[in-house]
Amino acid sequence: MRRLIEIDVNGDVHDLAVLPHDTLLEALRDGLGLTGTKKGCDEGTCGACTVLLDGKPVLSCLMLATDAVGRRVETIEGQALGDQTTNLQRAFVEKGAVQCGFCTPGFILSAKALLAEKPNPTEQEIKEAISGNLCRCTGYVKIVDAIKAAADATS
Amino acid sequence: MTEYAVIGKGLPRIDGMAKVTGQAKYSVDVKLSRQLHGKILRSPHAHARILSIDTRAAERLSGVKAVLTGTDVSHMRYAFVDTPRYPADGHPLAQDKVRYIGDEVAAVAAVDEDTALEALDLIRVDYELLPAVFTAEEAMEFDAPLIHDRDYADDSSSAWEDWGVSRTATSLADYDRNNLSGRTHVSFGDVDDAFKRSYLVREDRFETKATAHAALEPHAAVADWDAGGKLNMYIGSMSVFYKRFILAKIFGLPAQNVRVHKTWVGGAFGGKVDVFPYEVAAALLSQRTARPVKIELTREEVFTTTRQRHPTIIHIKTGVARDGTILGQEYKFIADNGAYRGSGAIVIFLGYAMNIPVYRVPNLRYDGYSVYTNNPIRGPQRGHGAPQMRFAVDSQLHMIAEELGRDPVDVALKNARDPGEVIPSIEDVLHTCGTKECIRGAAKASGWKEKRADLTRRQGRKKRGIGMSACAMFSGGAYYPFASAAIVKLEEDGGATLFIGAIDFGQGCDTTMAQIAAEELGIRLEDIKVVSGDTETCPIDVGNFLGGGTLVTGTAVKEAAAAAREKLFEVAAEMLDVSPELLVARDGHVRHHLHEEVSLPISRVVRQSVVKNDGNPIICMGHRQIVKGVDRYPSLAKAKGRWTDAYGFAAHFAEVEVDTETGHVALLKATTYHDCGYPINRQIVEGQVEGCVSNAQGQALSESIDLEDGHLMNASFLTYRLPTSLDTPCYADGIVETNDPNGPFGAKEVGEGALAGLLAAVANAIYDATGLRIKELPITPDSILRAQAARDQENKAVGLTEAAVAPSIG
Repeated sequence: MRRLIEIDVNGDVHDLAVLPHDTLLEALRDGLGLTGTKKGCDEGTCGACTVLLDGKPVLSCLMLATDAVGRRVETIEGQALGDQTTNLQRAFVEKGAVQCGFCTPGFILSAKALLAEKPNPTEQEIKEAISGNLCRCTGYVKIVDAIKAAADATS
Repeated sequence: MTEYAVIGKGLPRIDGMAKVTGQAKYSVDVKLSRQLHGKILRSPHAHARILSIDTRAAERLSGVKAVLTGTDVSHMRYAFVDTPRYPADGHPLAQDKVRYIGDEVAAVAAVDEDTALEALDLIRVDYELLPAVFTAEEAMEFDAPLIHDRDYADDSSSAWEDWGVSRTATSLADYDRNNLSGRTHVSFGDVDDAFKRSYLVREDRFETKATAHAALEPHAAVADWDAGGKLNMYIGSMSVFYKRFILAKIFGLPAQNVRVHKTWVGGAFGGKVDVFPYEVAAALLSQRTARPVKIELTREEVFTTTRQRHPTIIHIKTGVARDGTILGQEYKFIADNGAYRGSGAIVIFLGYAMNIPVYRVPNLRYDGYSVYTNNPIRGPQRGHGAPQMRFAVDSQLHMIAEELGRDPVDVALKNARDPGEVIPSIEDVLHTCGTKECIRGAAKASGWKEKRADLTRRQGRKKRGIGMSACAMFSGGAYYPFASAAIVKLEEDGGATLFIGAIDFGQGCDTTMAQIAAEELGIRLEDIKVVSGDTETCPIDVGNFLGGGTLVTGTAVKEAAAAAREKLFEVAAEMLDVSPELLVARDGHVRHHLHEEVSLPISRVVRQSVVKNDGNPIICMGHRQIVKGVDRYPSLAKAKGRWTDAYGFAAHFAEVEVDTETGHVALLKATTYHDCGYPINRQIVEGQVEGCVSNAQGQALSESIDLEDGHLMNASFLTYRLPTSLDTPCYADGIVETNDPNGPFGAKEVGEGALAGLLAAVANAIYDATGLRIKELPITPDSILRAQAARDQENKAVGLTEAAVAPSIG
């Protein structure tokens, strides 16, 4: 039997009917049609489902939708304001950090959380912050470059 | 050095914005109205006969809309390799037997995922267990259980025959081993005589494990039939035209009645070429229910039931002259194919074909065996035979160099091919070949000589070493649809729309093709819109799994854009009252090549064409056969026949640090020099090479599919260890521009070949650091510690200390 919950996603409050075992990831993708957050493994081992919960990066496939009630969820769709993309988004494109793009939303959100906490991270700090996000295409080099460039652009 | 306006530059990808905003839709994101969920029932046994299947309880479950079993698909026989000699050996659902753990037995469609899963539990299957075999060496023995005991050549034609190859009678009884899914033999010269004449002969055995593509997007398919009887597919794919061909064939439809739609693809690496059972199941379930059906594989299913890289056992015997020149080489390449043919017959051909362009071998004997076992199915994976073979050849060549007291770089340079050489048996001509420049460039950039002269690298707990290897890759092979075409449609705003059948799964083809068109038309990259990867709206394409994207599709694009430019000049010539030969296209204008002020904006010329030429809006086409003058794939069994018009080459120098206490190997620096002819987009080329290095790093040091009696033990990213950001080495990339006459602007392959060259480089670097020669991949901490323990045991037995056995400098 589905239960009605209210969740705040990207500043909008949504009413959603969810099953007790629905994950936040499923609620976002299937319930709200926000397919930017990706399901890479559904067991918390790849980082593609990373969203921000009250500003902190979490694996939405390991969270129940009901546990997001009363919290502020941010997905990749909430980053750009109209056509005003963020420094991170632009840096990822300019530095060649995007290839297939499937891991990209997860990386951008992990990076956003890092830069909010450490506006001028070292290369090692960047690598540690994104070590829970897997990428098979890029070898991470240009992703690290992009995050550095975004940090420089912001400061 | 030519200066181009658009190409050669590292311009940002045109699909970048869609991806960083989450707007890009992948096949897993597709959701159609009234969509049903499909799930597959899989065999829990490695080898068993199916006695009966009872689906009644599943069919009766509320919410279940259709259930399929083998009888529903007995007329659908297909495989990635389907030739008269190697007829397709698979059906989308098992017929009489299951042959590996994960083999598809039944499929259901239900209103939601939970109901579909419940339905699977209600299907009763009665199995009779059969003896199973799990290693290639055991399976090849004639007393091993027979995995395929049917003659598959029936009344239906094989795919190869549909493409023009005539049927010849070939008996499987010709095979000299049991359970063979393929057999390749190549020989020329007199290899036994060469060994007699050699100053040094070495014989070594190497072994590599199966690895996973590990693309981040799991495999998924959405199938939807429209009222007119057309099948619409949304699938992550590497070749939409190949998939269309097979689906049309097995559903008995004309090609036009199958449409593979464009979706973005979250990585592929060779793992999304085959037509998979879940795709056929989705299509058939959709046909039955008259509703869209989506099947999305779990990550565990992706690891287990899609494809893996062939594990191999490679024996190499090499004879060299005193200066290191190879006089003869003999190879035995055994690939564990798994339960169905997959690409076994191809990988054993590639073990020869991807290796022979690197070094000159005047006398050779090559025997390839692809062997059925009751393991998961092996198929194409980035490099497809080249990584395994190059690992073996260049590990051994380093050992040979050391025995001769020579620098491995010198020995490699002695044997590396030159431009103009002809590949034996295959007869491809190397119009360009930058192997030597790559080796020299990377040797210098990596500090090869200085690092090897530094004796301190072998001291202490953490030892450092450097090693090298080279590799080659084709730029397109003559495989269906045998050509690429492109359409350029000029727009009244002076921009253009480019139609290509290519599919971008991260390698950047949409962007690089647009750059080629923009260069030819004299406009900016942002003035080109690309429509790609859709079989209905786009022209045929070689697909992006054969290394042919740049050379083949790129040439078609260049031709289409050039044709459109010529039409522009015809119209502009009249408007400007000058001869068309005097015109150039630049900065969005048609200009007189000497008097720049005599010009017109392209937009105006296009509008004029419509007005003055009976409505002609200027739409032009280009096309290129994959291999000019060649209408089919070469003989897989004999490696005879031309199959590509250009090869890409690369050299890798790897620097590692080995922690002799924990066994952990860190890749400190990867220096890669790549001959891609000419880089259409420098940033994209770098990204591809960096990706190849990361992929290879994983496969050298941490990745292996662990199977126990056919059970996949590590079907998760937690236990199948990919490199993370923390494993990233320093990179030094170099591009060698050889400007191949066959490629658009001289460009040829990049993005697949470079993986093969890092494996031996790492193994040789580990040897350089520690004196441990490890001939099995991956080289895990366990491998290092075991090798150390074995050496310590050996040394104890002869009373030697560590210092006395440090490898000689040379």
